[in-house]
Order: sequence, then structure tokens, then C-alpha cells
Amino acid sequence: MMNALAARVPTAALVALVLVPACAHAQEPTREALIRKERQERAARLKPEQTSRWEQRILLINEKKIPQRLSYGYNGLRAKLGGMITQGGFGIGPEYFREDLLDGRLETQASWQISTRGYQRGLLRLGSRELLGGRIEAEMLSMHHYYPKIQYYGPGPDSKKTGRSNFLLDDNSVDWSLGAAPVKGLLLGASTGLLWINVGPGREKKFASADSLYSPEEMPGIDRQTDFHRYGAFFRVNYLDNPAGPRAGGFYLFQFNRYDDRRSLGYGFNLYEAELRQYVPFYNQRRVIALRARTHLTDTHAGETVPFYLQPWLGGPDDLRGFRPFRFRDRNSLLLNAEYRWEVFAGMDMALFADAGKVFPRRGQLNFSRLEKSYGFGLRFNVRNRTFLRMDFGFSREGFQAWFRFNDVFPMRPLGTSSTQPYQ
Amino acid sequence: MKRLPLALLFATLLPAQKFYPDDPLLVEPPPLDAGKPARRKLSDWYDLFWHILATPGEKQPRAGPPVRARNVNTLGDPMDGAWYVRRHYWRRMTIEELQRGAGGTAPPEFPWTVVAAKGEGITPGFTILDAKKRRFFVKLDPKSNPEMMTAAEVISDRFFHALGYHVADEYIVEFHPADLVIQDRLTFINQHGQKRPFTRRNLTELLVKAPRLHDGRYRAVASLALEGQPLGPFRWFGTRADDPNDTAPHEHRRELRGAHVFFAWLGHDDSRAINTLDTLVTREGRTFIRHHLLDFGSTLGSGSDRPNSPRSGAYLFTWRDSAIQMATLGLAVPYWAKARYPRYPSIGLFESKVFDPEKWVPEYPNPAMLNRLPDDEFWAAKQVMHFTDEEIRAIVDTGRLSDPEARDYLVRCLIERRDKIGRAYFRKVLPIDRFELRSGELVFEDLAQKHGLPSPAPYEIVWREFDNQLMQAGAVLGRGAKAPAGGGPYIEAEISAPARPSQKVYVWVRGGQVVGIERTW
Repeated sequence: MMNALAARVPTAALVALVLVPACAHAQEPTREALIRKERQERAARLKPEQTSRWEQRILLINEKKIPQRLSYGYNGLRAKLGGMITQGGFGIGPEYFREDLLDGRLETQASWQISTRGYQRGLLRLGSRELLGGRIEAEMLSMHHYYPKIQYYGPGPDSKKTGRSNFLLDDNSVDWSLGAAPVKGLLLGASTGLLWINVGPGREKKFASADSLYSPEEMPGIDRQTDFHRYGAFFRVNYLDNPAGPRAGGFYLFQFNRYDDRRSLGYGFNLYEAELRQYVPFYNQRRVIALRARTHLTDTHAGETVPFYLQPWLGGPDDLRGFRPFRFRDRNSLLLNAEYRWEVFAGMDMALFADAGKVFPRRGQLNFSRLEKSYGFGLRFNVRNRTFLRMDFGFSREGFQAWFRFNDVFPMRPLGTSSTQPYQ
Repeated sequence: MKRLPLALLFATLLPAQKFYPDDPLLVEPPPLDAGKPARRKLSDWYDLFWHILATPGEKQPRAGPPVRARNVNTLGDPMDGAWYVRRHYWRRMTIEELQRGAGGTAPPEFPWTVVAAKGEGITPGFTILDAKKRRFFVKLDPKSNPEMMTAAEVISDRFFHALGYHVADEYIVEFHPADLVIQDRLTFINQHGQKRPFTRRNLTELLVKAPRLHDGRYRAVASLALEGQPLGPFRWFGTRADDPNDTAPHEHRRELRGAHVFFAWLGHDDSRAINTLDTLVTREGRTFIRHHLLDFGSTLGSGSDRPNSPRSGAYLFTWRDSAIQMATLGLAVPYWAKARYPRYPSIGLFESKVFDPEKWVPEYPNPAMLNRLPDDEFWAAKQVMHFTDEEIRAIVDTGRLSDPEARDYLVRCLIERRDKIGRAYFRKVLPIDRFELRSGELVFEDLAQKHGLPSPAPYEIVWREFDNQLMQAGAVLGRGAKAPAGGGPYIEAEISAPARPSQKVYVWVRGGQVVGIERTW
């Protein structure tokens, strides 16, 4: 068979060689005719231009603005996902959000969430937009938290990892704040609010309830509930290049707040907070050194103490990343973070970080001795210069922690009295 | 009779001859009627992931002869037609012609009626009908960078027009909000995907995102709607299945392969399909598809809504580079990250010192650009080098940059980038062109010498017989510039330079006229 074919091919090729030029000359004497013939042949087998199913689906999603519709919901009513406190589980619930009230000058947000771990979080917020050309910011924020399993390891820097317990926190608050921006980047303001708190036995069965392990002396406020009137002032300088994913600039915040015990149980205190952040970019911002120093200091009048649930704490995804959440707690805290970030590709940065910090009972202990340290690395996923997912892997003397968060490592927080509450 | 199909197969496979009597064809034959092709949209996200993960289209073979550009005439140029028109390099355009671009004489006239608006998007903009009912797309600068996007759009539009592409007729315009009238019952889709009436307040909110001039007016770029019915973007690979005239796969079209050089020169890293547009045009009773480049807002130093990324000129993602960055903890600093940019808000991030045309790539792999060969690059580079300093300055002037220092900086960058392009690509093939037979001698221009770049001259010419049917060169007829007499209807000149032994240019002459050029490397 092969032989027969082989015998035929040279003959056919010969015929072709003889015929082709002649045919070509006879039928396609010009380049133009050749091109025309090619087009005619193509015209005979035309078909509608099509895109793949996947492309059609993506187009549909994009054209119908399905993500935007889902995120905005129906006339502002939508589902709120996530956003719970660390280790609070995955939260879900309805949210009403409008930014077009009063002809776009008023923004409102109301939400209620319950999480997979039984945590609940409610929020009602009214905020101004573009008052006096954006120079005035006014906000009313009311919150409710029902956090039944907050970790507690005992007071002070020497608390033990093995001392883990948990407690219930149930609070309601309402705060009003007013800020003025006399020049770009500078914000001065004051705020006031009310806070009602109820604490109780933790609902986590795997661990002891805090009140069974620690005495009221170690956990001031565990045995007696009170309410607070709080008020204060803040001062902020913000010249970050992009607050959602900064690569350059600085952020300096100073706040003073007074908590008055409305039931005169001796839980009033002053809270001083300072936070300094600096971003040092190089190689066209493809490399960044991010630095942060933060301290919370408290003082009390004679006969007063700071209740344990309002004491600053350290440990977790946003501060000491090699330690468990809420690992250290005392009347004062100091935190230092340094990150070296570099761009791996356009949508992802990597980071090496070092955290150091401590909690301490007396303000005079504000120094760099006996710092707890953690180290690690992380991934930062960005879209249009906004960090939408962060993974951090931290190591410390107490082991290893992995964090998956949907925020920047030094997240922007609200200002004023409401921001001073440790559990948001 | 059984042998006849086999013979016919050979007949279709074998090219009949190298040259036809009408070669070289400078203009595409009249197109076949395209009928009624359907409009179709492409997804830029799909385009992004497809090209990053798979890079579609026919690629150059790893071994064996490369696939040369398929849509060129025997001189190696695309023919004037639906894709391309030979312009500045082939007939030097005047300064006025360069500045006019694709039109340049009829800006939109007031009052403008807003007939469509974007509720979102990175650049604020809207569509208007002007006093003469002509449709224009109006886009504004980002607040942080006055003049940047509008200047980049118009300047690059003029360059791409002079380089031969079909582009829109664009103008820098200034308007006062009072010049705008909103069409009755106009609606728009807001950022939440909701259909809403478009009101004066929406217009104000849109304009608030743009910088305002001292006199209260706004500066914008107005692009006249392209002639014909829009059909959607073209892809940088394959062909349109419903277009009878689209015979060459796009990844093998010279003007799309060579576009890499132009895009590098002008910092056009946004080479996505959606920045192109096909329109159905009717001319002389024939309906055909014309192919355009569009939307140059992300060129030069502009990233449309902000300065361009310093990554410009590098892929957004490659496995290799990402692995290197991860493994070295970022200590392996990419070359582009070392660029220094002066602070010109109206320019954005654009420079020439670190720019390397051979390293430059668009944001993600472009199948046509990936297939480019040294002759594609030379074809483009010679056009870039053809722009004089004065012409570059004149085109930059169309951007109406108010800061003379910024304007001079941009001109300087473009000149330096141009020269780097010449140096890079004139060394990969013999940099000679504009062949003609004058008084019986083969003459040509040494473009490297002409532009003051290293030249491989002197050149040697060997003349041979050429059999057009067999497509084979025969006996040597002579040496030197003087074309030999006799030797049949076609003779071939092989031009070489001892300084670059692997590079040759073949020129074919018929009846005293150059009919073919081919380069090897």
C-alpha cells in the first residue's frame, strides 16, 4: 500500500509542478487576484464571531455590575459579611447603608451580625459628608457587642499561656464626635459618649471561665458592673499617600479620653494614646519599610482602677503577630512594629516583620526593656493599591500563629471615644 | 483520475511564483463586502487572565524557520487598507499634518448636550452631541495630575496616526459647566449598578473629580466617534470569524507585531484588546471592517486616573520573576524599579534613562508583539527614527502642557527613547532601506549612518540571476552597486556587510524597479 502511494506521489508532484505555475498564471495572474481568491474562500466559511462561555459569563457579571449590586443590595439593604473581632468567627447579617441622604451630605449605616461562634455585633452610624467642603466631620456611632468567649490570660506581662480562660462581654455605646480639618492632613476634634457594660462568665466550654481562675483584684471589674461617660479630644496628622494601602507618608495620632464611672464604683480613668506610623519607600515604592510605634497609657485618681475589660491588650494579627489574640493585658501598653515589604508581582507584596511590645502596670515602666518579640513573614494582596487580603505568619517564644485578614496591617481606625474601646 | 486530488493539493500548497506582475502591491485590493457582522464585546478581565496564563495565538516555532509577517507586500510593508496606512516614513508629513492627526480641524462646538455618562470608571467622562450633532467622548484629567491624561491621549493619538494606524480625531478642549446641557430624561448606571436619572448634581459630582482651571472651566479631551458602526475590539491574535477580509492571523500582522516598538517608545503598556475598536465602514458601496487603536490615556507617564505605575514596561505577573522576588526577599531589584522620575504632575511617571526597548513589555503578554522578529522590529524602528526632534516637539505641543519645563522634559525623553530604539533594532538587521535603481545603480539609505548610530558599512553587493518560478537565485552576474545587464526579467542583489556576516538584505529588481526586499539575520 505504502509502495503504491509512494509511487504515485512523485508523479502527482510532477503534475503539480507543471500545472501549478500554469494554473496560477491562468487563474491568478496577479497578487491582487490571489488575495481576492483567498478572501472569497474565507467568505464561503464565515461564521458569527463568538466569545467563550467563560468570557460571556465574566462580561455579564461586569456589565450587570453584579458585584456592585450585591455589595450595595436593594435600596441600601444588603448582607454584611465578616468584620467580626479576632476569633469571633465569621459574621453575617443584614446591613442598611446609604450615602445619598440629604442630597449626599449624610451617610448612614445600620447593621446587625451574628457569627459562627455566637458573637453578635450591632452598629448604627450617621456621618456627615462634605460638610464645609470636607473641612468638618461629624459622626454619631452607636454599637452593641455580645462577645461571649473573649480570651483572657491573666493580668500583666508575666501572664502564662497556660492560664487561658474566657469571659463574656456585653456592651452598648453611643458616641458623638466632631472634627475640623483647618488644613489638609490635619484633623482636630473632640468626642463624647456613653458606654454600658456587662461582663460575665465565658461561654467557651473548653476553657475555664475567667472569674473561676482569677480574683477580682486580678480582674478589676469582673464582680461589679458599671457604666461610663467618656469624653476626649484627638489630634491627627495624616499625609499617607493612600490610606487603604499606604506606601509613603506618615500618620501621627494623639488622643486623650476620660472615662467617668457613672456609678462611682471606682473604675474611672484617663487614657492617653499615641500612635506614630511612617512609611519609607524606595525603588519607586516597590520596596517599603513600614514602622509603627503605639502606646496606651492610663492613669487614675486616688481610689480608682482601670477595669480589666478596658485595659489595653497585645497579641493577635494587628500587633504581636507571634502571640495568641488578647495574650497580654495591663493598664499600659507599648507596641513597636517594623515591616520590610517588597513587591513580588503587581498584585502581591511580601513582608518580613518584627514586632515588639509589652504591657505594664505602671507608666514609669514605659521603656524598651522586657519586650515581648515576634517575627515572621507575610503576603499582601492588593487591587488598585488597596490591600484586600493579608496573610501573616508570626513566630514567638510561644510558638507559631497564622493570620488571614482582610485589611492593611496597620488598619485605619475611627477616632474619638468610640475608638478607645478595646473590643470593636 | 485518482491522482488529480493530490495534484490539486500540491497546487494549493505550493506558491506559484515569488513575484506577480502587480507586485509590489501598495494598497490592499478593494475589500469584499463584510455583510452584517455582529457587535461583540470582550472582557478585559478574561483577556488579562487568558493572556497571562495561556498566551493564545500561534507562537513562533521553537526550532526551524520563524513565521514571518504574513500581511506584507513584497517590499515588507503592510498595504494601505483597513488596518494600516503608510504615512510619515513613506512621505514625510508636514508639521501641520502631524499636529492635525486624524482630523484636527473641527473641535466640538458649543453648546454640548450630554447624552451619556459614566457612573463609575477610573476616568471621569461623558458623551456629548455638539452643536453640529456630532458625537464626542469627553474625558477629564484626574484631580491629582492636571493635564496629564489629556495631554498623553492627544500626543499619542497624533503619534499613532503618523505611524500609520487608524485612530480617533481628538482635541483638547476647555469648557464651562454652563456649556453643558443634559439631555431630557437621561439616565445612567451608578456605581452600585442602579439605573438613575442623570441630573445636574450628578454632573457636578463627576466634574468634582477633575481639576478646575483658574477661570472655572475644565480641560478635557474630546474624541470624535469613529466613522461607522462599532463592532467591538479586535484581538491581538487569530482573525475575526465573520470578516472575509481578515485573512492574516493578527499575531502575524506586521503592524501589530511592530507595534511593540511603538508602544515601548510611547510607554503604552496598556495593550489590551479593549483599547482597540473595529467599526463597520461603508465606502464606495462596499461595507468592510476597519480596525482602530483607541484610548491612549495610559501612555507616556499617565495611568489615566493617576501617574503610570513604575512597573510600566514590565509584566504584571510572571512565574519566573515572582519566584525570583520571593526567593531573594526582594534584593534582586528589577531594572525598572531603579528609574528616577522628576516631579512633573502633568507628565506622570515617564523617563528615558533606564528605558530599554528590548526589555520593555506591555502589562501582560501580547501574542502579536511576542511573535515579532528582527525585521518587524526594524520596520517599526525605522519609522520611530524618522521623527525629527522638531517633529517630536511639534506633536508634544498638541498636548498643550502649560509647564514649559514639563514639556521640554517629555520631548527630551521621547528623543532619547527614540535613539535607544534605533540603537537596539538597527543592529539586529542591516539598517538599510529606501532601495531604488538610479542610473542603473542600486542605491539605498544607511539609516544608522543617517541617524548617527553605529553602522556596519561598508556593504557588499552580489548580483545573481533569479528564477521567479522556482524562486531560486542562479549564477552570479556581477558585484557592486551597478546592476548587471541581462540575467532575465528578475535579478537579485544580495547585500551584506563583513562587519555583520549573518545579516543580509535581498533586493529583487524587475525592469529597473525594486519589487522585493527581504532581510535575514
